[in-house]
Amino acid sequence: MDSQRRGLLAAFGASALLTLFPNASRAAGDDADTRFLLVLLRGGLDGLHLLPPYADPVYAALRGAGAVADPIRIDAMFGLHPAMQQTAAMYRDKQLLPIVAIAPPYRARSHFDAQDCLENGTARPNGARDGWLGRCVQALPSEAGFAVAAVMPLALRGSERTSNWWPPLPKGVDPLLLQQLQPLYAADARLSETFEQSTRSAALAREGKGAFALPEAMRVAAERMSAAGGPRIGFVEDTGWDSHRNQAPQLARKLAELDRGLAAAREGFGSAWPRTVVAVVTEFGRTAAINGTGGTDHGTGGMALLCGGAVRGGRIGGDWPGLGAAQLNEGRDLRATSDLRSLFKGIAIEHLGLAEGVLEKRVFPDSRGISPLAGWRVG
Amino acid sequence: MSASKATAANRFGLGAKPGELEGSGDGREILLAQLREPPPLDEFHGLPSSAVTMTREYEQLSAARAGRVKAAPAAMGDNASMPQMSGGDAMAPVQPAGQAVDVDQAGERADQMRRELRRRQLDEFAARYRHASRTDRPFVERLTQFWSNHFAVSIDKGDTRLYAAAMEREAIRPHVLGRFEDMLLAVESHPAMLRYLDNSISIGNDSAAAQRAELMRRERRGLNENLAREILELHTLGVDGGYRQDDVLELARAITGWSTFNSREAKAAGERIPDNAFTFRKASHEPGERQVLGRRYAEGGVEQGRAVLADLAKHPSTAHHLSFKLARHFVADQPPPALVKRMAQAYLSHDGDLRALYRALVESQESWADSARKFKTPNDFVVSALRAGELPVGNDARALINLLSSLGQPVFTPRSPAGFPDTAADWSSPDGLWKRIQAAQMLAARIDPKASAPYQCAVSVLGNAAVEGDFAIGLRRAGSLRDGYALLFASPAFQWRI
Repeated sequence: MDSQRRGLLAAFGASALLTLFPNASRAAGDDADTRFLLVLLRGGLDGLHLLPPYADPVYAALRGAGAVADPIRIDAMFGLHPAMQQTAAMYRDKQLLPIVAIAPPYRARSHFDAQDCLENGTARPNGARDGWLGRCVQALPSEAGFAVAAVMPLALRGSERTSNWWPPLPKGVDPLLLQQLQPLYAADARLSETFEQSTRSAALAREGKGAFALPEAMRVAAERMSAAGGPRIGFVEDTGWDSHRNQAPQLARKLAELDRGLAAAREGFGSAWPRTVVAVVTEFGRTAAINGTGGTDHGTGGMALLCGGAVRGGRIGGDWPGLGAAQLNEGRDLRATSDLRSLFKGIAIEHLGLAEGVLEKRVFPDSRGISPLAGWRVG
Repeated sequence: MSASKATAANRFGLGAKPGELEGSGDGREILLAQLREPPPLDEFHGLPSSAVTMTREYEQLSAARAGRVKAAPAAMGDNASMPQMSGGDAMAPVQPAGQAVDVDQAGERADQMRRELRRRQLDEFAARYRHASRTDRPFVERLTQFWSNHFAVSIDKGDTRLYAAAMEREAIRPHVLGRFEDMLLAVESHPAMLRYLDNSISIGNDSAAAQRAELMRRERRGLNENLAREILELHTLGVDGGYRQDDVLELARAITGWSTFNSREAKAAGERIPDNAFTFRKASHEPGERQVLGRRYAEGGVEQGRAVLADLAKHPSTAHHLSFKLARHFVADQPPPALVKRMAQAYLSHDGDLRALYRALVESQESWADSARKFKTPNDFVVSALRAGELPVGNDARALINLLSSLGQPVFTPRSPAGFPDTAADWSSPDGLWKRIQAAQMLAARIDPKASAPYQCAVSVLGNAAVEGDFAIGLRRAGSLRDGYALLFASPAFQWRI
């Protein structure tokens, strides 16, 4: 085994047995009331910038002036970007678990296909018409899913018990008009349910002022989900992470937003926080070396952050493959050593209480060979 | 299969204007007639070329520097701002500040110039929607907007902001009834695309510019493969079109040097503004032979990249990719494979002539099937309401632009080079539908009090067959013009292209 191998898969491999009895380690009644929020950063976040392996001498050489100069050192090898003060505090509180070198099974470099894979839960673009979170909602007897997004994201499609929300137009709707529309939409097979849901979700009108960005979106999701009987599965998305040039100031701004977002989620979940897992993921990583224009191009191995009161954090997870020339994928980017589906399966089993068989048949088809990540959760 | 005028107007057009469905005629013939000659583009007369805009942009930036004025956000939608730095301008010298009074004046001048650029941009948006809401060749306008989204440029990238709409006007409209190869070349050498996908600052690693930078120990910029990747993945072959990472790199090298003039060159040109913002920088071009998709391309400066693009345009994968997207746009989210195949064959056997491709679409049985239907995008929903209600766009499109942002399809802001998505699942969320109902009320509130009765209007734009039962009763009984039009615009019949 590679001497650089570290992290969860090695340290907690023995606890894979746990997954046979997913609920065994938790108090009765607890498992039906957990919350899971998935945050998708679209554009391919540079994980080496969020979580710089500052102690790796190759990192400084690859990044040159583009290396993160003053990371918050959380580990002998890794640091967090200095814009992530509140996130670093969560790490110290053992509520943040970064996972290195993880990516969806897709191995080419198209954003759109990689996002499609991450959301559809298969190993192929267009591998499913609905999303794995939607299928999770469907597999749970009466739970609901909720997205903060203008358009229902692929990840949550596939169940009728999902809804999405985005700050509304300022004007209300005439109740008489709704009354007239009701029979018309009831007769439209493809829009009837959508119409019913739209009139229900309209009651959520929010006083929206100013820009609606990631921190507000995460707060809204958390507040909505924290309610008793609220949706247990949530989704928030953000764009603008594609950093081909001059990435340092762009990522400093975006990472500060993510930092505020995680803090807003913790606040928004409130008393539900101990029962909560927030997973921050992106479709792929970027090149290990800085490119000719002070940015990075599309690469393979990304990273994920698990955060929340239900997370056993304060350490680094995943297999770190190293940045040496021979260790890089195609000589250019971090090798992906684990499949995001193993993380998602681990969450679905241990945190949401789904049975492994259901996961392999319905939620993540063809994923039998992908073991659920274990040992990441408290209790 | 009958080709009704209502289907021609709704499935292939922008939604009917009152009167559009009157008279006799076959829907198919109506569409083919629209392809015969390009439509008049009076609305766009007088808009500045990208080269003129770029010159003004540099002047504005220079004035802003002189005044040490940080360009303030120019409320575009909610939070967009004018560009503060442009790709070609990164190396421009910073001017020393003068006296305090001069600084104030320069700052004021910079502000004024910024507002002027902003106003021009709004003029361009207004022209686009005026044209779409009035044109009597709506099929050609749908095609234009389809290609504009195929070659998506997103104005949330600052230095692209002033050029995206101009790209549609300068690079797409002239070729929409021509050959794809010509459109491809025009788009890939347009400043909007060159800046959006970073090619304007890409430099060959062995180019003269890179060597000079090394010699002078200046910070070395290098190759950027962003545009090359999207040309292959999105603009031509498609993601499964059979290219590899090496092809991306080789194409990126072939188009090094494809850039725009910079502020120094703009200043040197003085009053003589170039016709075109495209500039080939020989010094940035990676010298040598390139190999893309197994074919060799001799060194030839700017011609090398053009030769690769010409071959990509002729490739069977490109024919399939374009045909699939067009069929999905007009006919069904899952277009019939036989239709796609026939379209691709027409494209290939007519040397990439787009009219042949459109003809194959219009003449195919599948395109007129009763089962074919598409859910309107927010943009098409709004445009069809403007047409049905004969709502004026006027000279200030700000309200319209804000409305489109709220509906989730902000003008020229798909936020990704893949463009806005194009299936019902992408647009028919409960929240999206709710906002359409709100928008229907807002649009109906602007209906001219002398407009025809809602029921008459509905019949004249959707056809008799679509207006029946509760819908017809509701329209007939509407308590006011405004209520009736709100019901029309918010109805399910108005959300579908049938």
